[in-house]
Amino acid sequence: MPLSVLVVDDSPIARKMLIRSLPAAWDIEIAQACGGAEALAAYRAGKVEVMFLDLTMPEIDGYQVLETMRQEDMNCLVIVVSADIQAEAVDRVMAMGAIAFIKKPVDAAKIEAVLRQYGIWV
Amino acid sequence: MVTEKFKFVLADDQKEALQEIANIGMGQAGSSIAQVLGEFVQLSIPRILVVPPEEVPTALAWNIGEATVSAVRQAFHSAMRGEALVIFGQHRCNDLADLMGYEQDLDHAAEIELLLDVSNILVGACLGGIAEQLQLNIGFSAPSLMADALPLEQLLQGSPVPWSTALLVEVNFRLETRSFACHLVLLMPDEEVKALMVAVDHFLESL
Repeated sequence: MPLSVLVVDDSPIARKMLIRSLPAAWDIEIAQACGGAEALAAYRAGKVEVMFLDLTMPEIDGYQVLETMRQEDMNCLVIVVSADIQAEAVDRVMAMGAIAFIKKPVDAAKIEAVLRQYGIWV
Repeated sequence: MVTEKFKFVLADDQKEALQEIANIGMGQAGSSIAQVLGEFVQLSIPRILVVPPEEVPTALAWNIGEATVSAVRQAFHSAMRGEALVIFGQHRCNDLADLMGYEQDLDHAAEIELLLDVSNILVGACLGGIAEQLQLNIGFSAPSLMADALPLEQLLQGSPVPWSTALLVEVNFRLETRSFACHLVLLMPDEEVKALMVAVDHFLESL
C-alpha cells in the first residue's frame, strides 16, 4: 500500500520543488495543503502518514500545526522543510516532535538520507 | 507620436517563483542577523510588487507608514544588473540601534555604519539567494548612504532613474520583543528585467 504523504506549504512553487526532490521509486500517494488549516484537516481525517511541513505561512504557521498535532497525539511523522535556517528554529521544531529539519532549497540526497534513517523508505 | 512604453507585468507563476526564491534568500539573511543579535528572528513571507519607479514613493509610503526615511543603495552587476535600495523608516532606525544593543546616544556615524551593515547583509543574502537559485552570476558594489532622514517623496528625486521597472520586495523581521521592518527595492533596466524573467521561466520549466 502506498504511504500517504502530505506536502504543506503556502507557496505552490515550494510544493513543486519539494515533490520533485522526493525519490522517484518511493511508493507514495501525495496530497498537498496550502496552509496550516488544510494540513490539520487532512491530519484529523487520518490521511497523513508523513508530513513535509513549511514553517513560515500566513494564518496558521508550521509551529502552530506542530503544537496542535502534539496536543492531539501526533500519529504522523513530520519533516520540517524551511527557509528559516536559524539554529533556534531547528531546536524548536525538534523539541516539538518533528523528526527532521530540511532547509530550503531542498536537496534530494538529504531527503533520501532522512527517509532511510527513519526506515520510512529503504 | 505614441512611444511604446515597456509595461512589465509579472505572471502569477513568475511572481510565486520570485517570492519563494526571495523567501529562501531572506531565510539566510534572517539567520545572519539572528547570529549578530543573538536573538530569534521571526520571519515573514516577503511580498513582491512590480511598480513603475515614479510610483515607488507612493507604494513605500503606504507600506512604511512614515514620511521620513533613511536609505542605503547598493549596485549589483554581472548576469543581474541594477540597483538595490534598502529603505528604513526613521523610528525603525532607532529600533535597529536598540536591537543591536547600542547605547541610546548612538552617535550619527555609528548609526550610519549600522544601516550600511544591515543593508549589506540583506542585499547580499536576498540577491545572492536569488542569483544562486537561478544559476546567475552576481557581484556587488559597496553600499552607500543615499538618504539620511529625508522626506520619502524626495528619495528618488535628483537621482536620474533610468529604470522603468522597480521590483519591490517587502521584508519584515520581527524579534519576539521588538519589531523592525525595512523595505528592499530593486531597480533594474528593462532588458535586465526581461533577462531575469527568462531565468525565472527556465527555473519554472525545471520544476
